[in-house]
Amino acid sequence: MEGVAAPVVAPGLHTTMWRQLYVVVKKDVVNELRTKEMLLSMFLFVVLAMVIFHFAFSVRAHTDLTYFTGGMLWVTFIFGALLGLNRSFAHEKDEGCLDGLLLCPVDRVTIFLAKMIGNLIFLLVIQALAVPVFSLFFVSRSYLSDLPAFLAVLLLADLGVCSVGTLLATISMNTKARDLLLPIVFLPLIIPVLIAATLATTAIFAQTASLGSLGSKLLFLAAYDGIFMLAAYGTYDYALGE
Amino acid sequence: MESSRSLTGAPAASAAATRASGLARVASAPLLLAAAGACLALGVLLGFLWAPTDASTMGFSQKIFYFHVPVAETALLAFGVAFVASVLYLRTSNAKYDRLGMVSVRLGLLFSVLVMITGMIWGKAAWGVWWAWEPRLTTFLVVCLLYAGYFVLRSSVEEEGRRATFAALFAIIAFVDVPITFLATRLMPAGLHPVVFTSSGAQMDHRDLIAFLVSMLGMSLLFVGLLRVELAVERLRDELYYLKNRLG
Amino acid sequence: MAEIEVSNISKVFGRRDVLRDVEFAVEEGGFLSIMGPNGAGKTTTLRILATLLTPTSGSVRVAGLNLSDDPMPVRRVIGFISHQPLLYPDLTAYENLRFYAEMYGVPDRERRIAELLDRVELSHRRYDQVRTFSKGMTQRLAIARALVHRPRVLLLDEPYSGLDPHAVDILDGLLAEIRAEHTFVMVSHSISKTLELSDQVLIMDGGRIVFRQSGTVDEGHFAAVYREHVSEGVTI
Repeated sequence: MEGVAAPVVAPGLHTTMWRQLYVVVKKDVVNELRTKEMLLSMFLFVVLAMVIFHFAFSVRAHTDLTYFTGGMLWVTFIFGALLGLNRSFAHEKDEGCLDGLLLCPVDRVTIFLAKMIGNLIFLLVIQALAVPVFSLFFVSRSYLSDLPAFLAVLLLADLGVCSVGTLLATISMNTKARDLLLPIVFLPLIIPVLIAATLATTAIFAQTASLGSLGSKLLFLAAYDGIFMLAAYGTYDYALGE
Repeated sequence: MESSRSLTGAPAASAAATRASGLARVASAPLLLAAAGACLALGVLLGFLWAPTDASTMGFSQKIFYFHVPVAETALLAFGVAFVASVLYLRTSNAKYDRLGMVSVRLGLLFSVLVMITGMIWGKAAWGVWWAWEPRLTTFLVVCLLYAGYFVLRSSVEEEGRRATFAALFAIIAFVDVPITFLATRLMPAGLHPVVFTSSGAQMDHRDLIAFLVSMLGMSLLFVGLLRVELAVERLRDELYYLKNRLG
Repeated sequence: MAEIEVSNISKVFGRRDVLRDVEFAVEEGGFLSIMGPNGAGKTTTLRILATLLTPTSGSVRVAGLNLSDDPMPVRRVIGFISHQPLLYPDLTAYENLRFYAEMYGVPDRERRIAELLDRVELSHRRYDQVRTFSKGMTQRLAIARALVHRPRVLLLDEPYSGLDPHAVDILDGLLAEIRAEHTFVMVSHSISKTLELSDQVLIMDGGRIVFRQSGTVDEGHFAAVYREHVSEGVTI
């Protein structure tokens, strides 16, 4: 996986895995900035979901949704992520570009990492915009002092979502019912992340738990990320090609 | 990959031989199933008549433990078999592992649904509610949904080689997720219904234990017996499909 | 040793035998064309050569490298031109070529891109998004993409399909220019192009090679066999 100089048959071609990783991520980011279709729809969806949650739960006047905040936030992000994941491979598949990528002398795992990082970047961008909006709508307490903890939860949960999501999106893009299949296989697998992230986030928004108990959730998320990134590393070749 | 081809469809000359061996496999299963039935019946009898009624609040309803827990553990066994079969398939591309994986997942799913049903019956008898979000029930609910997704995935891929590869991949990931999900549900705060199904504790009388083990054995035999029957059926179905294709 | 050596490859998709015992060799500088009805396995063969598929059995050597050992070095020496352009429509011509140049690790990237854009006569559209191109222009850029890393072997999958006459001319010119230093394998439905360009011809049907001829192709015989197999319709 280190920088490999081409053998005698192809003199002159030289690149490294890191460079290729950077190039693919850059390509996806530039592509998305051109069209903005995915970012815009993800953001609109996320905000719409928040509004819908408000209407769905306000059965009585002055309902206190404090203990629902973590759940609402992560349901929103998980479904938003699903939208983005579907799109991330759609354009590769539609123009046959995936073949172009596979023809290149690049490790399949590098492709996975690049796609995962790309998805992570898009998700983080959406979250950067959506979290302030969410806090405005639903969170009464200022949690700025807990911001590092919140960001840690965000990042770890996002990693879980993006690693499992990218792997499954790769599989489902090769199937007939690609948009429909991804949620069905993705959602059960992401439940552990949802649980841990919701508990931790609600604790931060409602100030109901000490940093200690938060630590166990963070550890859990980190373990989840590690396990599934390892699983993706081992199986990605099969997910991509024959 | 001659092996995979000969397994799904030998040329016409030895089709009769393969058919015969397929039937032979089915024939041996009744013995297994009979043994399984006997064990289960024995286990139930022992559990209901011989082992003492549970001293705790659950009373007689605790007896369902002899059925519920073995079913749960057999379900997990089935998913474990699917995991191993999937790894083997990815390495060898031999269709028989794909078949084994699919049949195991199917049986595992069946058993998981049974876990939920018996769990709900136990819950109704013990606490008066049909459903509670306690760790084991919740985990099996998620497991059911997860492995149901396995079949949705299979039906979304038309080409057999790819279908087997993706299904194997998913079965591996899903199995890794099962313990993670269980741990995750334990993270949730304890509600009205604390973790109740800790029946395999020190309080178990030796008679309970024996009845339980007999049931466990019976359930496992049932699984293996059903597995063999279903594998044979699937194999015949594959051969039929292949022959039909060759005849055009 | 031949530049391309395909030895007894077969490919099974699940239960379907898509390729059976396919074997051929192409000398360095040669031009092989594969023709045949749909479903014959032509594209599958090409995709195996392109390392996009792995054969179920048999072996393939390109430029002395065995594909099953490690496909990476092989990818550096082959270029693939498909009827799909393999270009990103929202990126510019320059960005597309730059992407591939960087993925392959082309050392003199900027110069190479400029040189290629010149050759395919697209320099004036360098900073335009590919989605604004006509089909012919897209295919020309696709050729540039395939050549960016200076491959020795070019694999062409129905490269002329859907091209306007101007694009056909450019493709012809380009192929003539690079003919000498490259080895070609082309899948085509055009008999005229096949006979014009190739020094070796294969007809495939039902996953097998049913006709092969090198050197001067006996056009009458070839046409007869071709008509026989391609007019049969869909094969099992």
